[in-house]
Amino acid sequence: MADRMELPKRSREEDELEEDSVGPPRKRSASRSPTGDASPAYRLAERPRRYSNEDSPHEPTYYRDRDRSRSKSRSRDLSASRSRSKSTSERRSISPHPTPPPPKPTELHYHPTMILRGHKKAVSAVKFSPDGKWIASCSADCTVKIWDAQTGRLEHTLEGHLAGISTIAWSPDSKVLASGSDDKSIRLWDVATGLAHPTPFIGHHNYVYSIAFSPKGNMLVSGSYDEAVFLWDVRAARVMRSLPAHSDPVGGVDFVRDGTLSVSCSHDGLIRIWDTATGQCLRTLVHEDNASVTSVIFSPNGKYVLAWTLDSCIRLWNYIEGKGKCVKTYQGHNNKTHSLAGAFGTYGSDPPHEYAFVVSGSENGDLVFWDVSSKNILQRIEGGHSDVVLGVDTHPTEKLVVSGGLDKAVRVWRDHTMPPKPATEISTAEATTNGYDPHVLPPNPFGDS
Amino acid sequence: MNLSLVDPFVLAQDCPEVITGRLRSGHSTSIRFSHRGDLLASGRSDGIVVVFDIETNGVARKLRGHTRQIQSLSWSTNDRFLLSAGQDWKCVLWDLKDGSRVRTVRFEAAIFIAELHPQNHMKFAAALFEDQPVLVDMSNDVPVKHLLPTIPRRSPMERENVSEKQAAQDAKQTTTVTLFTPSGDHIIAGTNKGWLNIIDATTHEIKYSFRVGNNILVLIRLTQSGRDMVLNSSDRIVRTIPLPDFSDPKLDFDALQLEVEHKFQDLVQRLSWNHVTFSSTGEFVAASTWMNHHIYIWERGQGSLVKILEGTREELSVVEWHPFRPFVAAVGVDTGRVWLWSILQPQRWSALAPDFIEVEENVEYIEREDEFDIQPLEEIHKRRLDQEDEEVDVLTIEPVKTTTQFATGDFRMPVLLNIEASDSEDEVVAVGAGQFRRRSPGAGREWMNDEDARAANGTPPVNGTKRRR
Repeated sequence: MADRMELPKRSREEDELEEDSVGPPRKRSASRSPTGDASPAYRLAERPRRYSNEDSPHEPTYYRDRDRSRSKSRSRDLSASRSRSKSTSERRSISPHPTPPPPKPTELHYHPTMILRGHKKAVSAVKFSPDGKWIASCSADCTVKIWDAQTGRLEHTLEGHLAGISTIAWSPDSKVLASGSDDKSIRLWDVATGLAHPTPFIGHHNYVYSIAFSPKGNMLVSGSYDEAVFLWDVRAARVMRSLPAHSDPVGGVDFVRDGTLSVSCSHDGLIRIWDTATGQCLRTLVHEDNASVTSVIFSPNGKYVLAWTLDSCIRLWNYIEGKGKCVKTYQGHNNKTHSLAGAFGTYGSDPPHEYAFVVSGSENGDLVFWDVSSKNILQRIEGGHSDVVLGVDTHPTEKLVVSGGLDKAVRVWRDHTMPPKPATEISTAEATTNGYDPHVLPPNPFGDS
Repeated sequence: MNLSLVDPFVLAQDCPEVITGRLRSGHSTSIRFSHRGDLLASGRSDGIVVVFDIETNGVARKLRGHTRQIQSLSWSTNDRFLLSAGQDWKCVLWDLKDGSRVRTVRFEAAIFIAELHPQNHMKFAAALFEDQPVLVDMSNDVPVKHLLPTIPRRSPMERENVSEKQAAQDAKQTTTVTLFTPSGDHIIAGTNKGWLNIIDATTHEIKYSFRVGNNILVLIRLTQSGRDMVLNSSDRIVRTIPLPDFSDPKLDFDALQLEVEHKFQDLVQRLSWNHVTFSSTGEFVAASTWMNHHIYIWERGQGSLVKILEGTREELSVVEWHPFRPFVAAVGVDTGRVWLWSILQPQRWSALAPDFIEVEENVEYIEREDEFDIQPLEEIHKRRLDQEDEEVDVLTIEPVKTTTQFATGDFRMPVLLNIEASDSEDEVVAVGAGQFRRRSPGAGREWMNDEDARAANGTPPVNGTKRRR
């Protein structure tokens, strides 16, 4: 018994000792200053922090962890990366480790490229098509508009719903668009012709709030204000399975990337994970504060779910481990009354150094980008919209973001972060201009001498 | 991706238990699972081939081209092509991408079975009624039929002393079943005199023969690895035989000795078996019974009967096991329904709320030291946020362990939106959420008139892909 009593004490003492030797963070920054009067003890403590860039107290641990976990994979693609990027490796600073990670970008630079106007009422959702060609936007004016993602040309206006439309979803082949409306129906639209499929999906008793296609396109999941979640057989346009999901309106639904799981969330504060094949609840996630959950999506790899709650938080849940655990909370936007939605995106370079961000709108008209791991705000587009930003989506391949909100406009943003230019590119540019300024005429050798 | 969340006890079950559903589209006579297990092809007595989506239990495609009952079905390895053999003496290779007929091969005799080559979907082997078996190459527009031998290969000594009677008997022998080994290098053929022939698929010579019994070999099936074979013979015995690796170049056919591993039979009722199949791993053998309503499942370790699937009020003909799940489908002879057996997953109550735990007995709750301490909300919130320091990777997709040897290919079955509405033979139609009514007789049969009209006009019928305006 005495031993057990002592153990925690000892560990606490050790902790204190360590803290003493490292010193408070304020001192650390002082030691980095070029005055050079730091004691040797400080230098020792500094050593593991060599690669960290100095923006937040979260960063150092983050990078060290990444180093350890990634070391194996890096050694594997060492040979490939060496041969590919000789020029870039030359420019890298020399360090004791063979390949230090390239600096992780600390900010994004999304700038407006297009404003798509045409909706007569608030835009409730915007979605890029999976092939990246189209942007679909739905609105309270009972229409869905399909825009060309590159030129911004209005391709189709889909009319047929009798009430405002809250949600849209693209089929995986980008040929069909589904829309869920306050007229309690879900409609499918042929994107090529802009015509509605003759049989709407009828079954919900109240507003359809959220829909999502399965990755094969054969099933559709829908969440409604009537507190039910329906799984639809898309081919037959009939309810395949009704999930006794929630005790309050269902805010969001999504399918995991292999289609075996679906997720639903509700204003009762619950997020439920369902087995698509059997219709059984496999997991329920609740945050202690029990805030209303308005929107939920799976992460691109399907291991996490991201949920928007009305306490101005976006939470990333690990639903697999244990009983499910909230691993990240993203804050910095306003979300108290509206049902906001957002998306995952990527930044950085090729896959070994590709990072993920979360983007969401805000009720003050901002668009906010967070780094997934560090929770840092990478960019805040202030006043991106003049009113609440309801829907945001990211392009499947390009660095494009589309947003829509209560100000009736759909806005497209493009990232202008300059990628580090390889040296070869510069040399070819010089060769083509031959060293002369192209706007200045070359000296005329036959001129009067 | 659901496997990590499903009850491990449910996952450990590998034998189906109860009827979990049934599929119906016309009168089905023959079924076959696709290699990836998401589709089930069903041949009907009216010659239409229906492809069911197992996930939605709905019809994914209808293929029209046969005029008589479908005898056998075979999928290509990438699940894009389907070969159907009908009692109209022809085989059709379908492209499921657009539902078109790639090739139609006509025969001068009825077809017992037609099986696609595992590597090359333009080749198939077929066993014909009272005719020589053929290996058909459909690469060109005009299919090339190579005749395959039937007369068993004897040892050199036997070959010299062959008697006149035996020669006459050999001449009467016909092949009743053919199929490819997984590599596609050899064809395994069974004859009506109980002989098993292993034929080289390139030289068309019998490499090895083995006498299983005296009776007709009705059906042969292999496991996915091709190392085990199950034989259904008309002597009311189901045999399993372990096979050598035929793709091994060092295999000496002259020294080969096949041995029957198990003989499954019902000694009391003397049941005969309609159809046999292996389970996904080859651990079980399932057989449907003649003039009886049951499916018997034997286990191959001990050779014992482990389960009898029942619940139908009709005899079952073709029985098929899902390529990786404990899931069995069988065709009812009388109604033409496809019956599905699987495992019922009970809802785990602990999944419904994070603080629910399933316990065997009452447990006294011991509170945590600080459970009811009152702490300022701000501090709790801050502490919680500080704890969120772990590295998360939302992008890297972990390679999934493939449950079958067939990786997910590029082919994805297109979703046809109007297939059910255009011509459903279902006896009930959905009129709302969970509401159904009986279909009025004759409704949804318009395509029959349609087809006649089109035939009269001389335009080829479009196979189930026609969009309704």
